[in-house]
Amino acid sequence: MINSRITEVEKLSQNTSTIRFKWDQHAEAGQFIMVWVPGAGEIPISLSHLGNEKGITVRSYGVASEALIKKREGERLFFRGPYGRPFTKVEGRKLIIGGGSGMAGLLPLIDEKSHGIVAARTKSDLLFHDRFPRGHVTVVTDDGSAGIKGLAVDGLKGLRLEDFDVIYACGPEMMLKSILDRIRDSGVRAEFSLERIMKCGIGICDSCSIDGHQLCTEGPTFSLEEIASMREFGVTRLTESGRRIWLGKH
Amino acid sequence: MGFSHCCGELNFMSILGTEIAGIKLENPLMLASGILDENGYSMLEILKHGAAAVVTKSIGTTERSGYRPPIVVPLQDGLINAVGLSNPGIDGFREEIKIASSSGKPVIGSIFGSSAEEFLNLALRMESYGAAAVELNLSCPHVRGFGTEVGSDPLLVEEIVGLLKSRLKIPVLAKLSPNVTDVVAIAKAAEKADALVLINTVKAMAIDVYARRPVLSNSYGGLSGPAIKNVGIRYVYEVYKETGKQIIGVGGISTFMDAAEYIMAGSSAVQIGTALYTQGKGVFGNVNRDLAEFMEKEGYRGIKEMVGVAVK
Repeated sequence: MINSRITEVEKLSQNTSTIRFKWDQHAEAGQFIMVWVPGAGEIPISLSHLGNEKGITVRSYGVASEALIKKREGERLFFRGPYGRPFTKVEGRKLIIGGGSGMAGLLPLIDEKSHGIVAARTKSDLLFHDRFPRGHVTVVTDDGSAGIKGLAVDGLKGLRLEDFDVIYACGPEMMLKSILDRIRDSGVRAEFSLERIMKCGIGICDSCSIDGHQLCTEGPTFSLEEIASMREFGVTRLTESGRRIWLGKH
Repeated sequence: MGFSHCCGELNFMSILGTEIAGIKLENPLMLASGILDENGYSMLEILKHGAAAVVTKSIGTTERSGYRPPIVVPLQDGLINAVGLSNPGIDGFREEIKIASSSGKPVIGSIFGSSAEEFLNLALRMESYGAAAVELNLSCPHVRGFGTEVGSDPLLVEEIVGLLKSRLKIPVLAKLSPNVTDVVAIAKAAEKADALVLINTVKAMAIDVYARRPVLSNSYGGLSGPAIKNVGIRYVYEVYKETGKQIIGVGGISTFMDAAEYIMAGSSAVQIGTALYTQGKGVFGNVNRDLAEFMEKEGYRGIKEMVGVAVK
């Protein structure tokens, strides 16, 4: 287990914080670390900040993440990694689509040639929509409290897919499914970062597997073609115990 | 980037073919229970990469979520795990066996229980799902009331194996623990099994000195990987010598030499698990290829000729 002193904690909203820490380790956008909060648990978290002073952006949803956002500067952060296959770097114009806390792992990809679609349930859940170049972000909320009222896929209306060299997306599986269905015949290059229950992070426990591929070692990023060939994507997954469930319509 | 689908048809099938408990295997490599074998599609993928058979995750009567992470501690020469027997319960496992069985290769159902009746019920269900055999988990080192707690009682082991043998049509494999005082006594108690599987993980612990506490949420776990290989070799050798039973060797196999060592100690087949962490799924293709080359150079015409040759 690696540990590093926390250099800064930036509170972004009531339940979301960015934790910065020194870690001299090469890592790329799309990769993640397994963060251990002794006594509270261990969870996978995408790196939201690269460089020597790394960062993770955490939204509380359980015991470990709740304990994590309460961490203060100077305390130790325990973790292992970096894990996972990063997004492929593509030159040119990027369309970046993030749903909820899925925006955290997409942050390092944003540059002056990016356009964003940032979706969330409600205004206060929006993450990093203010990091895109002026006039180049489409905000979508389920309840219409900010931007367009609707789902992430609705943010594609009015955009010409052929204007982009690559699409990167991360968010809940059914959100990604609706985007996949919308763009799969467009010919545009795309990579999605998938989400599943993850326990070991090193490709052995089978919790995060989709169609025989482990998100933690072979993903979490996959190409549009890879995802389109998956029988389980958007259809079925295993729960924490390994029970197969069928995903509802979004 | 595309997925790598390795190996396909191997041209050294004939020399690697083996048999365990009456089950024909195209090569001696099986997937060990507990690694990438909860989801049927993962098992299919492992079989595609060259394993001759897979053993499922251990399945019990009722659904269990397992322990809260951390459930693994990666080490230089292995890893410690305490997954906690997470499983959907036997009712929820039919679909996974069905998916894995579409490969046409043997799928062996691992089961755990606390009494002979419970093992029997689970085994009958596995048989009805189409499992090629059942593997009895008599050796998980980190869950109270199951595994080693059952498998270290010779009378209970004898009762479980005896009952299952009298009621099942498919073969019974008994997976034994190294965490007992006298493994030969347990092996003899399990004598009616069609084959023995040796060894399960070695009970272990890792402490983080900066956090000042055990890393695993369960504190205790089971050590696997190269760190335990020579413990496994010794147990296989000793049990083979003392009982003459057919054995499946497991514990720290990641190269052809490890596999050959287990076979020479008395194993008719071997299982691979932790090496999937260090080498990925390509380990099955690599070990098969290198083992066939080794056997040809050393003048073996089949696995059978090599089984137990080192036992004096």
